[in-house]
Amino acid sequence: MTDALARWWRPLAFGLAAVSACALPAAGQGGDLAEKIQFCSACHGDDGNSKIEKMPSLAGQPAFFILNQLFLMREGVRKVEAMAPIVKDLKDDHLDGLSKHFASLPAKRSDEPVDAALVKRGAEIARQRRCSSCHMPNLSGSEQAPRLAKQRVDYLTTALKEFRDTTRPGGDTAMSANLAGTSDADLVALAHYCASF
Amino acid sequence: MSISMSARSGLIAAGGFAFLISAAGPLAAQQQPTSSSAIPPMSAGRPGFSPIDQTKVELSKQDANLKGHPVPPTATPIDKLPVDKIKLPRGFKAEVWSSGHAGARTMVMGDKGTMFMGSRTIGRVYAITDKGDKREAKVILQGLTQPNGLAFRDGSLYVFAINKVYRYDKIEDNLDKLPEPVELTQAYDLPDTVHHNWKYVAFGPDGKMYVQVGSNCNICEINTGTHGQIRRYNADGTGMEIVARGVRNTVGFDWHPVTKELWFTDNGRDWAGNAGPEDELNRIPKNMEGANFGFPYCHANGIPDPDVKRPNPCAGVVMPAALTGPHSAGLGIKFYTGDMFPKQYKNVAFIARHGSWNREQKYGYDVVMAKVSGGKATISPFMQGLLNIEKNEFYGRPSYVFQMKDGSLLVSDENNGATYRISYGDAKTAAR
Repeated sequence: MTDALARWWRPLAFGLAAVSACALPAAGQGGDLAEKIQFCSACHGDDGNSKIEKMPSLAGQPAFFILNQLFLMREGVRKVEAMAPIVKDLKDDHLDGLSKHFASLPAKRSDEPVDAALVKRGAEIARQRRCSSCHMPNLSGSEQAPRLAKQRVDYLTTALKEFRDTTRPGGDTAMSANLAGTSDADLVALAHYCASF
Repeated sequence: MSISMSARSGLIAAGGFAFLISAAGPLAAQQQPTSSSAIPPMSAGRPGFSPIDQTKVELSKQDANLKGHPVPPTATPIDKLPVDKIKLPRGFKAEVWSSGHAGARTMVMGDKGTMFMGSRTIGRVYAITDKGDKREAKVILQGLTQPNGLAFRDGSLYVFAINKVYRYDKIEDNLDKLPEPVELTQAYDLPDTVHHNWKYVAFGPDGKMYVQVGSNCNICEINTGTHGQIRRYNADGTGMEIVARGVRNTVGFDWHPVTKELWFTDNGRDWAGNAGPEDELNRIPKNMEGANFGFPYCHANGIPDPDVKRPNPCAGVVMPAALTGPHSAGLGIKFYTGDMFPKQYKNVAFIARHGSWNREQKYGYDVVMAKVSGGKATISPFMQGLLNIEKNEFYGRPSYVFQMKDGSLLVSDENNGATYRISYGDAKTAAR
């Protein structure tokens, strides 16, 4: 058990370093929902569309998806080192309010370059892998399935690899099955396709 | 969904008192994304193994937007539980036994009367203790990856998360501070795939631990030496044997009280039509251990798979003892051996049907009976009312069934985070 806990805490330290790239308001860990929103927006974008490398956009995500993920991170099921200390003290009303806030914002594409050839190839892989079956034909997501449309390329690429390699505990196991056998290049193409919407 | 998130959110437990386990392995090395714009070649599957799902949604003629129902991370408040909607045969009664434990699924009882409950996405194991007129549910483990498999023997609780196995000794004496677990993950050496590998486990009459190993897809070729099985082990993880092959995904089994044969539910494939292939109730006949139950080539009562084909797909396949309905998702099964219910219920199997997602008209969301005769079974309704057929909506999702010492039956409801106690006869009900 001691080893297991140590494994969990070690990456946490790296995660805190990563978060320091965002200009976090000092008052983020107390107070009302407006302060919480401001705190989250420092990394995830004022309008919920992230401008920071590998940081996911939350704008336009299904409210249930955001609430469920925040809940699972607070619970310790989904282990995101950067998020663990942040969600730790969030109350139920915060989860609810944050979910509704970010769900209500319009999703916008990041300024990352999107490669037309990769988009075309990603579309073909998405068809084969039936992404739209859960994420909807326009990839806007629904309930527990996140929006993929207009998500950051670098974030999606990392997330897809984690699902494929089952290094993302707490995720839907169907994602691991649906990505089985894909190459890293396949996943980059999928990310470009999703971002292109 | 029948219950709004805002109604639920008051019941979200912070779980701050819980004992935390890290189920995380070492983080895999992250490779940089390739930046080349050249179109790379189509990737191949793993050598000697084709995990790529062969589902063809367009050929199913089903609504392509069908998808799994989300499991709420929160429990329904006790006054909003759908217990009043439950319908039972004359003389039976349903009441709430426990509530407030989100994601309620598997149930096993310790020697000292503690009910242990496993879950999936929420990653918790609960201990539910009976305080006379009410039950208290407490989170004893959290942060596990889908700890659905629980078994209890000789004072120890065995916890099977996805491909992780722990044993907690003398657990009922230490519910406030769990002992360090004995990790048995390496000994059980389960395959590293995760889909359809949330576990169901149980000790058999032979004292062995029986373990589910699901198929890592909706429909695909599987290596029958690795996936799509029921296995048994010595309790310490040694002596593995395969007792059933070609099983898509069983998450419930029990042994017939008289014949001692293993009966198991099996969830049929999706995206092959609203009508089926139907889910199965299977029996492993005596001297047929290791038999093939058909996946992926042959489904239900001998339906060849439309996407994964071979000649004579059903040759040598053991046919089901009964079909249990299209996409109905039969999970828990328990043969009734109690004295509370009338005599005709003796040795009848109760099956919790979690309810369909891959079907336009919803189906299941109930508990049915399987009456066994000569190796076959007939299915009839028992607990109904959680599915509104006209509105095509559901109010609860029965997951597992458990027989209490007094002969009453508990049904867990994953959607509402509660259990219902089903009893028979006014006198015995009032005696509680």
